[in-house]
Amino acid sequence: MRLDFVRMFIDSTTELFQEVIGPAVNVKSVSVKPSPVAGRDVLTIIGLTGESQGRVIFDMDMYTAIQLAGCMLGEMSPGMTPLVRSSIAELASMAIGQAISRINDSGTRLKMSPPIVITGANLVSYDQCFETLVAPIATAYGEVRINITIQDLN
Amino acid sequence: MESSVDIGPASPATLTCLIVDDSAFARFHLKRLIQSMDNVQPSEAANGTEAISEYRRLKPDFVLMDIVMPGLEGVETVRRICETDPFARVIMISSVSHEEKVKEAMEAGARYFLPKPVTPGQLRKAIDEVLKTNRA
Repeated sequence: MRLDFVRMFIDSTTELFQEVIGPAVNVKSVSVKPSPVAGRDVLTIIGLTGESQGRVIFDMDMYTAIQLAGCMLGEMSPGMTPLVRSSIAELASMAIGQAISRINDSGTRLKMSPPIVITGANLVSYDQCFETLVAPIATAYGEVRINITIQDLN
Repeated sequence: MESSVDIGPASPATLTCLIVDDSAFARFHLKRLIQSMDNVQPSEAANGTEAISEYRRLKPDFVLMDIVMPGLEGVETVRRICETDPFARVIMISSVSHEEKVKEAMEAGARYFLPKPVTPGQLRKAIDEVLKTNRA
């Protein structure tokens, strides 16, 4: 696990959340869990490729997703509309994009895939069996967990 | 996040803008910012292929272009647009903004680069800058 990159993902997500959805954001404990990762109602998945490889999954409750999107859109949505899904995807994309930029500027080539949002009850990501680092972020609208797996290819 | 923006004193005619992003939220947000400007008419494209076709059809005064998109990525889309119109005014807007990517985008023909999230002030400044550049 590239813990230095993991730190960059957590920091960039915290900073981005503070900028876009407000100051009530802080990282609590960080834990390591075996894959697969049990998620909540809404998963946003971003693949990482390049000199390191892995993926980042944001998971949150439906309520949190709708509230976060409402904050970004400037208006509340009645439910999980396509625009809400897109807002959640964009939030994750901006957070991970900033970390990817820092990692590339520090000398490691890394690319991200466009985000994919999946919704449902008690979603589980059956991934390759790499350890996953889980960082909960508290927001005014509920907790968002970042599940990060990243390994060097060599 | 919204405010009224004057993009220049000598722009009585309506300007046209093409917003290219696979994210419906990003298009929504940028369109809202653009519509707060008095004299800019936005159009949209959700991917690189659609952007090339819409650019040819509309010949917009400027383009707001994302980088990370499924299929044809933003930098390659700019390259193809600029092959047919070297005077295209393209502003790249992306969450991926490392030095190498910015350089790649500018070499492809982009005139300006903005990291996401974009504020109204940043967008106004970028549009002001690209509108100063020549157009065939």
